[in-house]
Amino acid sequence: MSPRACLAVFRHELRVLRRDPSTAVFVIVMPLVLAALMQRLFKGTLVAQGVTGATGAEFAVPGMAVSFAAFGIGYAGFAFFRDHGWGTWERLRASQASSLDILVGKVAPAVGLSLIQMVVLFLLAVPLFGLSVTGSWPALLVTVFALALCLNAFAVVLTAVARTSQQLTVFASVGGLVLATLGGAFVPVEAMPGWAQAGSPVLPTYWAMQGLLDVVIDGGGLLDVAGPVAALLGFTAVFAGLAAWRFRFDEPKVYWG
Amino acid sequence: MLRVEGLHKSYGRVVALRGVDLEVSPGEIVSLLGPNGAGKSTLVSIVAGLRRPDAGTVFVGGVDALARPKAARSLIGLAPQDLGIYPIVTVRQNLTLFGELAGLRGRELRTRVQEVAEALLLDDLLDRLAGELSGGQKRRLHTAAALVHRPRLLLLDEATAGADVETRAQLVALVRELAGEGSAVLYSTHYLQEVETLGASVVLIDKGSVLARGAVAELVARHGGSVVELRFDGEAPVITRDRPGRQPERDGNLLRIPTAEPGPEIAAAITAIGAHAARLQSVEVVRANLETAYLAITGRRYEPGEEIERA
Ligand SMILES: Nc1ncnc2c1ncn2[C@@H]1O[C@H](COP(=O)(O)OP(=O)(O)OP(=O)(O)O)[C@@H](O)[C@H]1O
Ligand SMILES: [Mg+2]
Repeated sequence: MSPRACLAVFRHELRVLRRDPSTAVFVIVMPLVLAALMQRLFKGTLVAQGVTGATGAEFAVPGMAVSFAAFGIGYAGFAFFRDHGWGTWERLRASQASSLDILVGKVAPAVGLSLIQMVVLFLLAVPLFGLSVTGSWPALLVTVFALALCLNAFAVVLTAVARTSQQLTVFASVGGLVLATLGGAFVPVEAMPGWAQAGSPVLPTYWAMQGLLDVVIDGGGLLDVAGPVAALLGFTAVFAGLAAWRFRFDEPKVYWG
Repeated sequence: MLRVEGLHKSYGRVVALRGVDLEVSPGEIVSLLGPNGAGKSTLVSIVAGLRRPDAGTVFVGGVDALARPKAARSLIGLAPQDLGIYPIVTVRQNLTLFGELAGLRGRELRTRVQEVAEALLLDDLLDRLAGELSGGQKRRLHTAAALVHRPRLLLLDEATAGADVETRAQLVALVRELAGEGSAVLYSTHYLQEVETLGASVVLIDKGSVLARGAVAELVARHGGSVVELRFDGEAPVITRDRPGRQPERDGNLLRIPTAEPGPEIAAAITAIGAHAARLQSVEVVRANLETAYLAITGRRYEPGEEIERA
């Protein structure tokens, strides 16, 4: 691995991102809007669960943060498909950047975007929705970072499997929806039917929600989120393994649009 | 600088290369000629490490490119046949990326970007978005991106397709300059005239095999006799010829007579076609050059119209 080549790819991806900031704006603004819309819905449930002084933001904010991170799993993939569409993929491969340099350089901005999107939502929710984080902010950051890594590792697996950008769009939207809903980020796990509750822990988003709710509601600290974070990193390792096994750099991919 | 031996490559049932040997020394320009589908791009992409051959060896600057692709790639600059640039960033940012990927930075990077932009008439366009350039300008940027780091082995796959006369001349000059500084250049093209100006050696391939190789002058002397071509309205007639030498060839409405003495040959041919003279549309003398050599070797007339222009 050559850090310089990797950094060159990374910086270039940021330039591309700057030219077309619509995705970034969307994933930052939309969860704010949805959290505002949904906040009241969760107030009653939370109060019934014994969360005194609940505003609803205690669930809506972590929920929308995780959901939109999940909806963004297509983003990393498009960083690859774009190059196939522009004819630059082979040029990158013929350059001195190794496969790993290219991969890390392209996925890192997507991880950064997920991270910023979630952190901005939590920070703005304090003044906007009266969110009070009862636990430790560092624990919240660690959880959010582990989730960003995990989801983007999954995004690379989807990219490896998709042969066309059309397929990637389908995989990412179905995948994002399943991760958000069944993971308990849209509807609290307790409110889901039994079969869904039983299946939920196979999804990384479930663990992220457990960690975040613990920090926001139950005053959780770094030790309390160790379990969920370990689960997220475990998923990350599995996805990384799958990606390493399945990703073919010499496969010609088709970009439409 | 480049040594390729016994290269074989198939795509499923399509055999693209069947045992190609090739050598390019430092400072040498080798142009790869051959009709569409001959295997030129396949060869170039294997040398660049983008595809693995089924058999054979590739050495770049003494490095076994199949065993140590990364070391080999550091010596190579590739401009693939299909356009590959980032349309939504500027010309400068495109060139900077490829310079950085090759390990350039700081002042040296900026100087090289400026130099290559000037050499390919892009210096006024450096801060324009690449996607807003004209077709030929995009093509120049595409080639420039392979040159920023002044590679020791330059691979240009139809770099001049779709470029105007000035661009082509500029590019040819730049390639010569690079070769003059010791870079080896492998250059695939459909413009035979360019090959003659480049002073390149030629490797002519068809259907995955090398049919001929050598300096342009050598090939022309060996294979490129003059040809008289008679074009008819409708099928060309069959004639037999009593003069010594090869027999005429019919190719649709074209009658081709290889000859060393075009004048007497035409006179004889006009007599021989008899009443068919009424259908005669044109008579053309194609002088011995790379084109007639190409024709003699491949059995096909070189048709510039056949080439697909990509811009
Ligand atoms: N990715 C591929 N999959 C299957 N067959 C391929 C592929 N690439 C090339 N071929 C086939 O291999 C043969 C050689 O193709 P190649 O692109 O090397 O030709 P070329 O000499 O570069 O032609 P051109 O002058 O049209 O660029 C052709 O028959 C082509 O159809
Ligand atoms: Mg080709």
